[in-house]
Amino acid sequence: MNVECTLEVNGSSTTLQVAPSARLIDVLREDLGLTGTKEGCGNGECGSCTVLLDGRPVNACLLVALEVEGRAVTTIEGLLGPGGKLSHVQQAFVETGGIQCGFCTPGMIMSATALLEATPAPSDAEIRDALVGNLCRCTGYAQIIESVRAAAELIGPGSGGETPR
Amino acid sequence: MTPFDYHRPETLAEAFRIAGAIPGARYVAGGTDMMVRIRSGRERPGALISLGRIDTLSRIELGSVTQIGARTTIGQVLEHPELTAAYPLLALAARPFASVQVRNLATVGGNVCNASPAADMAPVLLALDARVEIEGPQGTREVPLDAFFKGPGQTDLAPREVLTSIVLEPPRPEARSCFLRRSRVGMDIALTSVAVHFQLAGNRLTRPRVAAGAVAPCPLRLRAVENLLEGRAVDAALLDEAARLAEGEIAPITDIRASASYRRRLTSTLVRRAITAACEESR
Ligand SMILES: Cc1cc2nc3c(=O)[nH]c(=O)nc-3n(C[C@H](O)[C@H](O)[C@H](O)COP(=O)(O)OP(=O)(O)OC[C@H]3O[C@@H](n4cnc5c(N)ncnc54)[C@H](O)[C@@H]3O)c2cc1C
Ligand code: FES
Ligand code: FES
Repeated sequence: MNVECTLEVNGSSTTLQVAPSARLIDVLREDLGLTGTKEGCGNGECGSCTVLLDGRPVNACLLVALEVEGRAVTTIEGLLGPGGKLSHVQQAFVETGGIQCGFCTPGMIMSATALLEATPAPSDAEIRDALVGNLCRCTGYAQIIESVRAAAELIGPGSGGETPR
Repeated sequence: MTPFDYHRPETLAEAFRIAGAIPGARYVAGGTDMMVRIRSGRERPGALISLGRIDTLSRIELGSVTQIGARTTIGQVLEHPELTAAYPLLALAARPFASVQVRNLATVGGNVCNASPAADMAPVLLALDARVEIEGPQGTREVPLDAFFKGPGQTDLAPREVLTSIVLEPPRPEARSCFLRRSRVGMDIALTSVAVHFQLAGNRLTRPRVAAGAVAPCPLRLRAVENLLEGRAVDAALLDEAARLAEGEIAPITDIRASASYRRRLTSTLVRRAITAACEESR
């Protein structure tokens, strides 16, 4: 039997009926139509389902949707600025070639966004650690790391990052 | 995935009531073990009882004893500077744990209750002489962590009981510690891990604790090694003997990741290196 669930996604609150065992990724994709978040492995290994929960990256495939009631969820769609303007991290991935097939990209960008929010000028080691849970089978990672470096440059020193909460 | 009901009690009393009322109901904290097991069909719970809304389970307190609420995530351990300064071993195990995403979900209590032989927090908590506080419908009890593990996936918990917190002694003066872990690739479970913790009185080790993971049915303390080290100054001969005794105390298996003999050699090497590194650690 479905139950009522109120989710705060990308700054707006929605009440819907969900199966108690529905995962956050199911509700985002199937009920809210937010298909930017991808399901790769479904087991917490690949990071393609990464979303921010109260600003911190988590695997949407491991979370029961009901568990996140009352907490702020941010998906890749939530990073767009007014008029569909790409965020600095999104822009940097486009310009630096951090995207090939694009399947891992939303997850990569969510992880990178959270990293730059906490650590505006990360070292390469910090970038790698932040992306350990995001697999990419196309790029070989070099361009992705470069994209994150480029995003840090775009955001610039002294800025408080850009994660919408 | 087999559907399940999901309950979110706000108190332990309510959790015990639900656990008693629904056959096959299981507790869930971060879900990083439970959800994977459900998806693979290895677990078909009658219902899940989330511990996420029971606030008392996520507090961290440092005082005459230190309490780490069972619902504390691995990420929250790393974000608590007083806790990691008091117990550097916790950070050594938490930093390489899984990925950022998993660390933000996975809890310390879940790591212990899941009772995987390879659980990364287990060796460091054993080396810190951790006790676990358990609460059930009948009341509260405390058990030393090494008596809590009963076998792979098996613990001392009775059916409705909840692990409420990890209890640590105050940090010891002149404490030295080290945690070493080896896995095939970064984000893979440990092939072997070793944690050591002792005090230095001059150049002599006192109250040594040596624990290992992934080399026996449960994470375990290597008591013969501990007894050997007590009161001794470290030299090459002592390290050789410690490494030899460590091999005798473990019972590793051969699986897809490594052979038993490789794990045995690796453990003795890590014991030797961890003791050396901890002695050299400057404060
Ligand atoms: C991709 C991935 C990588 C991982 N990497 C690592 C790693 O590097 N090192 C490592 O050690 N582990 C790793 N794990 C395993 C897992 O993340 C940890 O064991 C984690 O600490 C489990 O905590 P949880 O809160 O998610 O547990 P849950 O899945 O919520 O629960 C685990 C078990 O414990 C029980 N339980 C939980 N809390 C309590 C409580 N308070 N009282 C009573 N019972 C309870 C549950 O009923 C369940 O049986 C990994 C998992 C994934 C998916
Ligand atoms: S789909 Fe969630 S981690 Fe792979
Ligand atoms: S771009 Fe194809 S998986 Fe990363």
